[in-house]
Amino acid sequence: MSKIFPIVVVLSLVVPASAHRVDEYLQATIVSVERDRVQFSMRLVPGIAVSSGIIATIDTNRDGIISETERQTYAQRILADLTLSIDGNPLQPQLISAVFPTMEEMKQGLGEIRIEFIASLPAGGTNRRLTLVNHHQSQIAAYLVNCLVPSDPEIRVLAQHRDEKQSFYELDYVQSSASVAPYIRCLSSLRGWTGAVGFASIFRRGMHHIADGTDHLLFLLALLLPAPLLLSGSRWAGFAGVRQSLLQIFRVVTAFTIGHSITLALAALGAMHVPSRPIEVLIAVSILVSAVHAIRPIFPGGGAGIAMFFGLIHGLAFATSLGHLELGWWQRVLSILGFNLGIEAMQLIVVAATIPSLMLMSRSRLYSPLRIVGALFAGCAATGWILNRLLNMHTSVDLIVDALAHRAVWIAGGLFLSSLVCGLRYRITDQSFRRYLLTLMGGL
Amino acid sequence: MISFSRKTARTGTVLALLYASLMTLQAQSATSRIVSAANTFLSTLNDKQRQSVLFAFDDAKQRANWSNFPIVMVPRSGINLKEMSATQRAAAMALLSSVLSPRGFEKVQQIMEGDEINKNTDTGPPQSGNNGGGPPPRRSSSPPPFGNGPIFGKDLYFISFLGKPSEKDPWMLQFGGHHLALNITIAGEHGVLTPTLTGAQPALYTFEGKTVRPLGGESDQALALLNALDASQKKQAILGFQLADLVLGPGQDGKTIQPEGLKASAMNAMQRAMLLGVISEWANIIDESAAATRMAELKADLNETWFAWSGPVTAEPGKNITAYYRIQGPHLVIEYAPQRLGGDPSMHVHTMYRDPTNDYGRRFTAK
Repeated sequence: MSKIFPIVVVLSLVVPASAHRVDEYLQATIVSVERDRVQFSMRLVPGIAVSSGIIATIDTNRDGIISETERQTYAQRILADLTLSIDGNPLQPQLISAVFPTMEEMKQGLGEIRIEFIASLPAGGTNRRLTLVNHHQSQIAAYLVNCLVPSDPEIRVLAQHRDEKQSFYELDYVQSSASVAPYIRCLSSLRGWTGAVGFASIFRRGMHHIADGTDHLLFLLALLLPAPLLLSGSRWAGFAGVRQSLLQIFRVVTAFTIGHSITLALAALGAMHVPSRPIEVLIAVSILVSAVHAIRPIFPGGGAGIAMFFGLIHGLAFATSLGHLELGWWQRVLSILGFNLGIEAMQLIVVAATIPSLMLMSRSRLYSPLRIVGALFAGCAATGWILNRLLNMHTSVDLIVDALAHRAVWIAGGLFLSSLVCGLRYRITDQSFRRYLLTLMGGL
Repeated sequence: MISFSRKTARTGTVLALLYASLMTLQAQSATSRIVSAANTFLSTLNDKQRQSVLFAFDDAKQRANWSNFPIVMVPRSGINLKEMSATQRAAAMALLSSVLSPRGFEKVQQIMEGDEINKNTDTGPPQSGNNGGGPPPRRSSSPPPFGNGPIFGKDLYFISFLGKPSEKDPWMLQFGGHHLALNITIAGEHGVLTPTLTGAQPALYTFEGKTVRPLGGESDQALALLNALDASQKKQAILGFQLADLVLGPGQDGKTIQPEGLKASAMNAMQRAMLLGVISEWANIIDESAAATRMAELKADLNETWFAWSGPVTAEPGKNITAYYRIQGPHLVIEYAPQRLGGDPSMHVHTMYRDPTNDYGRRFTAK
C-alpha cells in the first residue's frame, strides 16, 4: 500500500492516535444459553500494531488474500484455543459462521472477525455451570465475555465468575423443567430474602409454588381419585361412606405432607444433596403410578404408603436448588417452615375444592368413567414428562397441562356443578350421605 | 369542613388538568419547534444536498451507520458541516440546539471542539500505549492507507435524516462523527436519544482560556458515587476483572446482557440520588421535555438498576477517571470506557447510552 500512499502523507496522518486500541487483540464473546444448547458469538479485532502478526497467521500462503480455506482454518484454530465445558464435562463447539473483514480493514486495525459457534448441551441437573476458557493469542489479547439475559424464562443466571483478564469465564445458572421451575423460582427468590421480608411473604410463595407446580398437583389429584371408594379385592367398588372416605383422604394427604416435609427439612439443613434429573423423572413416574392405582388398585391400604414414599421424592425436588441459597442456618429453617406451611395451605385449598365433588360423584355410576378418564389423563401427562425428562424428547404435555391449570377454578366449579347434578339424579338413600350433602349446601 | 374539602378537591382537579394540558402543550411545542427547525435547515439545502441527507425511515443500514471512529475510518453518510455554507451550518446548529438541552448542546460542541484540537496538535507519531506487555507498535513503513483527506476537525460532523421531519409520523435525526453519534428519534410527542455514543479525546483541554472537560460530569459524579458506597457495597459494585472496552458499543444493537454489580435497591437515598445524577449526564442531553419523561422512567426503574465498576478507584484531581463503569436497568445501559490509546486513559474515553427496549425509539415506532 505504501506504493499508493506516499509515506510522507501517511506519517503526517497519524491515525491510530485517536482511533482505537493499537497493541491489543480485542476478543469479545457473547454467550447465549438455551435449553439444550449454548450459542457463542465472538468479535475479534486485532489492533493496528498487532494486526500484521494476526494477518500472517491467517493468510498462511501469504498471497494477500484470505481464502475460504484460510478462514475456516483460522476459525477452527480459534475454537481449538478455547476450552468449553458444562458441569465439568467437556463440550465440543461447532462452527456456525465465520465472517472476515477485508485485508485493508485489518491492516488499519479496524477489521472485525466475527465467528459464531454452538455447543449442544447434554441433559443435566437444575443447577448448571458453563465454563469458557479462552487462550487465543493470550499474549496480546484483551478479552471480554458476557452472557445475554436468557430468552427462555425457565433459565435464570445465578452468577458469572471471571479471572482478571476474563480469559476464564464461568456461568452458573438454573435451568428448570416445567415441574421444577416453580420450586426454583420460589427458592431462588428467597436469595434476596434477609429476614426482613417476613414469614408471610415466604408463606405466600409456598402457596404460589404449589399452585404453579402442576405435576405436584396432578400426583395428589390422581391419588385422591379413588379415595372415596371401597376396595374390593383387586377392583375399586362403590362409595365407601363419608366417614371412611374422609379418613382415607386425610391419611393420603397427611402421608404426602409428612413425606415431602422430611426431605425438605433435610435439604434445608444441608443434610442431603441429590442430582435433580433423576428426581424429576421419579416425580413423573409417581404420577404414572398413582394414575394406574386410580384405575386398578395396586397398593393395599388405599395409597397412604405410596403417598408417603412419593412425598419423599417430591420434597427432594427442593433439595437440588437449596444448595445455592446463601442463607444462614436459622434463616433457612424459618424460610423452609414458612414455605412448607404455604404449600400445605394451598394443598388444603385444592383438596377442599375437589373432594366434595369427588365424594358426591362417587355415589353415582358416572364416577367410574370419570375416574378412569382422569387417571388416563394423568397417566398420559406422566408418560409425556417421562419421555421429556428421560430422553429429552419434546412433548406438548407442559402446554396442555398448563393450559388446564390456568382454568383450574372453572374446572373445579364445573366438577362441583356436575357432582350436584349427579347427586340429585341418582337417588340418595344413604342417610349419613344425605346429612353430609345438607351440611355442605348449608355451608355454601 | 366538607364543602371546604370539596372545594379544595375541585380546585386541585382544575389545577391538575391545567398543569397536564400545559405539559401536553409544552411537549407538542417541543416537537413542533424541532420539526420547524429541521424544515428550516432542509430548506437551505439544494436538491442534491437534500437528496444525500434524507434517508427512508426504515433504512436499517443508515440507522446503524454510526461509530466512535474518525470519519475516514468509518465513513458516515449525509453531509458534513464542512460542506455546508455558513447559512446552512447555522441552520444545522440551530436544529441541533432545538433538539438538545442547553447542556447537551454544549457537551456536543465540546466534543467537536476537542476533535479540532486533535487536528491541530496530533502530528507526531502515535504513542503506542504499549504498557500491557504486548508486542512493539507497528513499523512506520507499513502504515494504514487512509487517503489524504482530513481525519479530525470540528467541521467533520455529519447530519442525516431518516424519514421526513413530521409532528405526527416518526423520523430520526442523526448527527455525528469522531467520538459522537446522536441518534434522535422523534415520534409525535416522544423524543428518544438512544442509542447515543459520546466520547472525548482529549478529555481535558483548554479552550479560549477555559478548562474544558466534555465528559467531566460523567467521570466525577460516578467517582463520587463510588466513594459514597460503604465497604460491602463497594465489594459488590467493583468487578474483579478488567473491562477493556465497551461491551455494547457500535454494531451491538438489540442485546441485553446479564446485569452485574451493585443493585440500587441496596443503596441509601443519597446514593440513589447520586446514581440518578450520573444517569442524568446522558438522559439530559436531549431537550428538557423529553429528558424529564426519560428521567421519570429511569427513576421508577431505580430498584432494578445496577452499578458496576472496574479499574482504579481514584482519579487525579481535575482529571477524568481511568476506570470503566456500567449502569444497567430494565430500560437503560450506560457504559463509560476509558481508552488506553494515547497513553493516558484519563484523556480518552468512549461512552454508550442505550435503552435495550427502545433503541431508535422502537417502542414508539413499531407498527
